[in-house]
Amino acid sequence: MASDAETLLTLSGVGKSFGGTVALQGIDLAVQTGRVHAFVGENGAGKSTLGKLIVGVHEPSAGAITLDNTPVHFASPAQALERGLVAISQELSLMPQRSVLDNIALGREMTRGPFVDDRATRAHVQALMDRHDMQIALDARVGDLSVVERQKVEILRALGRDARLIVFDEPTARLPSDQVAPLLALVRSLAAAGKAVIYVSHFLDEILEVSDTVTILRNGEHIRTGPTARETRETLVEGVTGRVLGDQYPDIAPPDRAAAPVLSVTGLARRGVFSDVSFDIRPGEVLGLAGLVGSGRSEIARAILGADPAEGDIRLNGALAGASIADRLAGGIAMIPESRRDDGLMMGRPIFENVALPHLRQLSGALGLNRRQERDEVTRACAATEMKYAALDDPAEALSGGNQQKILFARAAMGDPVLLIADEPTRGVDVGAKQSIYNQIATLAASGKAVLLISSEIEEIMGLCHRVLVVSRGRIVGELADTALTENALMTAAFSGT
Amino acid sequence: MQTAITFARTYGILVVTLLLFCLLTLTTDGFLSERNMRNILDQQSGVLIAASFMTMAIIAGNFDISVGAVYVATPLVALLVENATGSIPLALVAGLAAGAVMGGINGFAVTRLKVNSFIATLATSFMFFGAGYLVSDRSIMRPEGEGWRALARTRVFELTTATWIALIVVILAGILLTRTRFGRNVYATGANREAARLAGVNVDRVQMITFVLLAGSAALAGILGSSRAISAQPSDDFSFIFAVLTAVIVGGTSIAGGSGAIWRTVTAVFFLAFLSNGFNLHQIDPIWQRLIEGFVILVAVSIDAASQRRSG
Ligand SMILES: Nc1ncnc2c1ncn2[C@@H]1O[C@H](COP(=O)(O)OP(=O)(O)OP(=O)(O)O)[C@@H](O)[C@H]1O
Ligand SMILES: [Mg+2]
Repeated sequence: MASDAETLLTLSGVGKSFGGTVALQGIDLAVQTGRVHAFVGENGAGKSTLGKLIVGVHEPSAGAITLDNTPVHFASPAQALERGLVAISQELSLMPQRSVLDNIALGREMTRGPFVDDRATRAHVQALMDRHDMQIALDARVGDLSVVERQKVEILRALGRDARLIVFDEPTARLPSDQVAPLLALVRSLAAAGKAVIYVSHFLDEILEVSDTVTILRNGEHIRTGPTARETRETLVEGVTGRVLGDQYPDIAPPDRAAAPVLSVTGLARRGVFSDVSFDIRPGEVLGLAGLVGSGRSEIARAILGADPAEGDIRLNGALAGASIADRLAGGIAMIPESRRDDGLMMGRPIFENVALPHLRQLSGALGLNRRQERDEVTRACAATEMKYAALDDPAEALSGGNQQKILFARAAMGDPVLLIADEPTRGVDVGAKQSIYNQIATLAASGKAVLLISSEIEEIMGLCHRVLVVSRGRIVGELADTALTENALMTAAFSGT
Repeated sequence: MQTAITFARTYGILVVTLLLFCLLTLTTDGFLSERNMRNILDQQSGVLIAASFMTMAIIAGNFDISVGAVYVATPLVALLVENATGSIPLALVAGLAAGAVMGGINGFAVTRLKVNSFIATLATSFMFFGAGYLVSDRSIMRPEGEGWRALARTRVFELTTATWIALIVVILAGILLTRTRFGRNVYATGANREAARLAGVNVDRVQMITFVLLAGSAALAGILGSSRAISAQPSDDFSFIFAVLTAVIVGGTSIAGGSGAIWRTVTAVFFLAFLSNGFNLHQIDPIWQRLIEGFVILVAVSIDAASQRRSG
């Protein structure tokens, strides 16, 4: 741990409100150079908002921020960047159509007279990569890179602009589990190079491993800040949720092996993506689909929903499923898609419209939508997920990341599906709420529904599934159940096809 | 502060229109007269009809430039049938059907051929203008019988039939958009097409229907226009689409899709109508009117852009 840490940034009495919602109040905090400072807290606690205040995305409604002992006011992220404060967002600020070089050099190109000097720019970026020991092909198109590599591009861009403080907001939420360790190592090396790092995550083990200091937030208030060395998983859970959580994973009774399958897939194939996929799910069964990111798990799930064309037989309760998505939904399938921003939510539309969208037929009568019934049912579905919101008329974008994820769960559960396909259902969800989603999955299973669970979190797969299919390169390479279902066996199978 | 911004964003156009109304009432003789109000309603009937459905198409995420051409071409088709058969109902059906077919062509180009809606409807505009010249043999067309002029000009309870038709169409469009499953699907399609599709919305069909309804409404507007003028004439005149688009945009319906409302567009139609009526009553040079109108549009869209940035 670097001992030459000095205070870079101080927040005193900082608060932020959005309309009537108080996101943060009375926050006093000091961020030091050469340290990884973690923020933890429930969904909606204010972690992202705090990060955004520091990098100038939002302006505080109260309090003061001091940088190098002088007060600062940032009206825009550009002004914060000017002073070396940046956030690593997931991909929003990259230009996917442009090369790695262009993305890193953006705004800092070397020039000769009025012209960009390509050679000098290239040498400069290469030197930057060498200095920080992060190599990415300079001419690759950013849109073709993996999530980790894109993160590296963002980090390099920040470093190229002399970043002194870097905010990571849930950087591992979208990472496959085998790529988490390298990212954590990278975060540590940034701190070792004297940068101040703010690290937000719901994975408490990561926090314990990577951070030096940890700040716990709850309901927009500062609960405590202290050295990570004094925390354990239990103390963090208690700090975050305000209660002691029992066993994270509920007991789910094994399904009746003799029962007729709810879903039966035979010879499902999509050219160049996956082939020869066959399996059954029985009532009450939680079936896991494990594998590396890019192995074809999500694509198989999408084909079952009818989102992409595929060959092969899909039977729901014995009958061939219709071809369109609407047919499959009507047949009792519900899906939580992988990317909530791209495939799930209408960010600008009210929460209740987002939840009700696939259920409008059931909510319509001869006189059009029955809006009272809609509200009642949506309210109930949201309550079951412990979603935190001010009003159902607020747009989805006004919710914190984890609460947005709960919109998708509420949407899927509301239709009382016979088969729930959940692709990363707890992405960005806090520990307490995770448990409530697990409990809901258990309840669905107990009432005879089938669940197909895709997750990059091995623990989640191990904790919830009765049986796991391992996908590698578009094929099912293994089936694990009961005592054969171990973390080791899973990983071995996942890597087997590569 | 935040609530003030939200309020201004939501009801700004209504407040501004009411202010303008009061201002003109106080300062301008003849503005609040019954005759003037009746005239404004009658003159705006065509724009109201088409702008309601333009709002719907834009909420669904598409643009439609061809509305101007549909407005010009379909009354010519209707009059062709009227001249040939003498039957007004038949002529109406022919005109509206021609509009629906044109909307279908737009919808096909956008949903099947995957052409950007702006470009597709720019191209079909030329086709539809051309069709207008073809069916009219490049000359002005007039109705055979007396009945044609009665379509738009009959007085019912002091208001013209054109006004009544416009009111009914606007109300129906509003109900369709806010109270039905179809309306929700329109918003969903414009807000996030892939998310809507995965939620079981047939996004191609939704877009197709909005195009057909829009072109059909433009045909209705064109037919009423030809009834008011007792003639129709082929041209390359884009002015109708400008009037329609201006109303939708000034009303604050986002051209990015996914948000907006018909009541906003209707309010904006009246705002723009009051504005130009006021200019006329004060006998201000039409050239200045244009300059000011352009300025108003720019203000409206920059407010929209600023609010997008805030919330983004
Ligand atoms: N743009 C916004 N408009 C209105 N309310 C907002 C906005 N952004 C955040 N909020 C509210 O501020 C509170 C804190 O949100 P924030 O995103 O900081 O939570 P978080 O701790 O990052 O949660 P998560 O773990 O779910 O990401 C929430 O109640 C949220 O609804
Ligand atoms: Mg967050």
